[in-house]
Amino acid sequence: MPATKKLGLKQKYALMTRGLDWETTYQPMEKVFPYDQFEGIKVKNWDAWEDPFRLTMDAYWKIQAEKERKLYAVIDSISQNNAQLGITDARYINAVKIFIQGVTPLEYQAHRHFAHVARHLRGVGPRIAAQMQSLDELRHAQTQIHTISHYNKFFDGMHDWQHMHDRVWYLSVPKSFFDDAVTAGPFEFLTAISFSFEYVLTNLLFVPFMSGAAYNGDLATVTFGFSAQSDESRHMTLGLEVVKFILEQDEANLPIVQRWIDKWFWRGYRLLSLVGMMMDYMLPKKVMSWAEAWEMYYEEQGGALFADLGRYGIRPPKHEDVARKEKDRISHEVWAIFYNYTHAAAFHTWDIDDEHMRWLSEKYPKTFDQLYRPRLLMWRDMARAGKRFYNNALPQLCNLCQIPMAFTEPDDPTTICFRSSELGGDRYHFCSDGCKEIFDQEPEKFVQSWLPVHQIFQGNCGGASVEDVLKWYHLNLGADNLDYAGSPEQKMWDQWMAGRHVAQAAE
Amino acid sequence: MHRLRIEPIGETVSVADRQSILDACLRAGIWLPHACGHGLCGTCKVSVIEGEIDHGGASSFALMDFERGEGRALACSATLCSDAVIEADIDEDPDARHYPVRDFIGGVAAARMLTPDIRGIWIELDGSGIEFQAGQYINLEIPGVPGRRAFSLANPPADPRMLELHVRRVAGGKATAWLHEGLTVGDRLAFSGPYGRFFVRKSAPEPIIFLAGGSGLSSPKAMILDLLAEGCRAPMVLIHGVRGRKDLYFADLFCALAERHGNFTYVPALSAPESGDAWDGEIGFVHEVAQRRFGGRFAGHKAYLCGPPLMIEACINVLMKGRLFERDIYTEKFATAADGKASLARSPLFKRI
Repeated sequence: MPATKKLGLKQKYALMTRGLDWETTYQPMEKVFPYDQFEGIKVKNWDAWEDPFRLTMDAYWKIQAEKERKLYAVIDSISQNNAQLGITDARYINAVKIFIQGVTPLEYQAHRHFAHVARHLRGVGPRIAAQMQSLDELRHAQTQIHTISHYNKFFDGMHDWQHMHDRVWYLSVPKSFFDDAVTAGPFEFLTAISFSFEYVLTNLLFVPFMSGAAYNGDLATVTFGFSAQSDESRHMTLGLEVVKFILEQDEANLPIVQRWIDKWFWRGYRLLSLVGMMMDYMLPKKVMSWAEAWEMYYEEQGGALFADLGRYGIRPPKHEDVARKEKDRISHEVWAIFYNYTHAAAFHTWDIDDEHMRWLSEKYPKTFDQLYRPRLLMWRDMARAGKRFYNNALPQLCNLCQIPMAFTEPDDPTTICFRSSELGGDRYHFCSDGCKEIFDQEPEKFVQSWLPVHQIFQGNCGGASVEDVLKWYHLNLGADNLDYAGSPEQKMWDQWMAGRHVAQAAE
Repeated sequence: MHRLRIEPIGETVSVADRQSILDACLRAGIWLPHACGHGLCGTCKVSVIEGEIDHGGASSFALMDFERGEGRALACSATLCSDAVIEADIDEDPDARHYPVRDFIGGVAAARMLTPDIRGIWIELDGSGIEFQAGQYINLEIPGVPGRRAFSLANPPADPRMLELHVRRVAGGKATAWLHEGLTVGDRLAFSGPYGRFFVRKSAPEPIIFLAGGSGLSSPKAMILDLLAEGCRAPMVLIHGVRGRKDLYFADLFCALAERHGNFTYVPALSAPESGDAWDGEIGFVHEVAQRRFGGRFAGHKAYLCGPPLMIEACINVLMKGRLFERDIYTEKFATAADGKASLARSPLFKRI
């Protein structure tokens, strides 16, 4: 009997996963798969899909179960050892609040929509990949909720994050980003989330949060971060494979993909301006500045990627030059927005101390002392005089990214950038050419945007006063919102620290 | 230094003491799946079938304890404590022959200038000679110069005892200076081989495009002679790009082959013809000539590219714009120390090209 050669991993995987894509007979294929053609993407051969990873369901369950066991052991020890006492400063927790309010609900949305995509693509390779990612995203949402719930026992603003995610004005920024993606077709969703977000921009989300956690003694977030990151490789390679696959299937797909890359680069970049603020202003112990992170993770790594994509005829995303021009200012502009509106937010802002200003000045030598230090000093003086500044007028929002209109002209950081489009007798306002162009491509979609300020004025948000609206948001007034100085959280933290000094003195 | 065999392809590479498995494989031209490069993501997970390894800094989430117990490892973090065998998630190439690398000593039988800066060197071997696939290369020791230099074999595998090298003189390069001026007939040269995964995928039926730049004619010459001698009937085109008429070599050989074999077309191209060249052939760089010849449409072919990095990059761009993609493009880059800066940082988008 001739010796039979051992099957390679690829062949083994093929035997276990192929043949699930039969042609239907009771119903026409178009009815069974109604979503994968209307976007105009032409697929000649689904079998040309190359599995970027070959993980069987059996191995998947085994590995993920073990990851869970490890993570939950760490969570137990965090809670038994009162790990909340080990963070650098209570101000740090505000980064975690933004994460649970703004990012975790997106993980859950991703879980739901990858399941949808897994059902609705007719190629079996991408279906399996999307199915596994759907399960990963559910795991990420769940582990984040369980980990962060420990902090929720002590700190404010994390008690009703899913409700807040659907209502609070600044959380409409991440929410509307994902709503846009899940209401697109399956290929646009994959280009938006798997490619533009998971591949091109993910390092700018995860590295700042996870390194920020590591630098600030937040072992809980570091651990779920590592656990999630071990799944990210699959998500990133899926993003690359999706784009390669679409581009190689038909040349008519090129302009469609280019338009999506332009759109989702800009949308992701605008969303990340919140992360930039967190990095530059909210971490007691700094990791790197937003500008440095942008240079390393987008300009260098993204540069190599778009050089490679150039072989397909893809050019770098439109308006990346604007992002480059803005890198020395967006974090300061966004911090200013939240300082203005902290009375309506479920996290705190605070006076930036001198040492922190020195760091900002060093990291932003061209802009900080000239443009932003004077404003911070003015706010400090006002607060010391008992007139902490809160902006009581509701802001105008960009109709696309939904961030208050506070970004400045690409070539002039002292002039607010206003753009607008007219449609059906109404004028729609935008913070940038990038946002305006996305609107102009699909105005029928974006005229439906749920804009928090408009909704408040239309009486859809609990009432006519700020207090009514905040109650409708489920904010605990006087605890979740307002300046850190004088907050219950500050009082608790100072007591903890005072207790520590007494204990040390007694030893 | 340990030896590492990679299954299912059966290739063997050397791994230095603190070198990662991934680094050793990538440097030897064997692509393994990888992404983060520092033990966090788990993309480069392999199975260790034999031997001892050290897991290095692999994250305990990217490589769980039970996986370690089952002999799994992250190639980007693992180093070898002994000779080892791993199984990686890579595709077996049905056309790879896996001839073992051996050490050889041969005598220089002939040497002559093929162009003003390319010297042809013929090395005779005793016994049965070297087993290799047309397109592969050897690593040659140069007396007095540390390290080894790679040269593609220009003779077909049917002539295993008379090796032919095309050595372009690199400005300021000590090794090629010696090969041009120091080497004489009768010298003994030590080398090892064969190396490389640049060979014709004979199981593929598609018409073949060979794109060669300068001394990058060597591998395609071996491949074409091999295919024609075997009676291959697939259409094949060789576009050989050089600067001026004086830089063209083996033109008579390829013209004669084209006359004898209806399926073979020879297209010499000059990028900078001089006034005395009396040239009525193609003018332009290899990729420009290829684009003209094929009307910018390359789908349905196999392409083999051999030459300097800039020429390879320009050709890949033209081929991909003409709808020929990674799975149908094979390259051998002739990089010299001078090309170091020109090689761009790459993303993980492509595996081989």
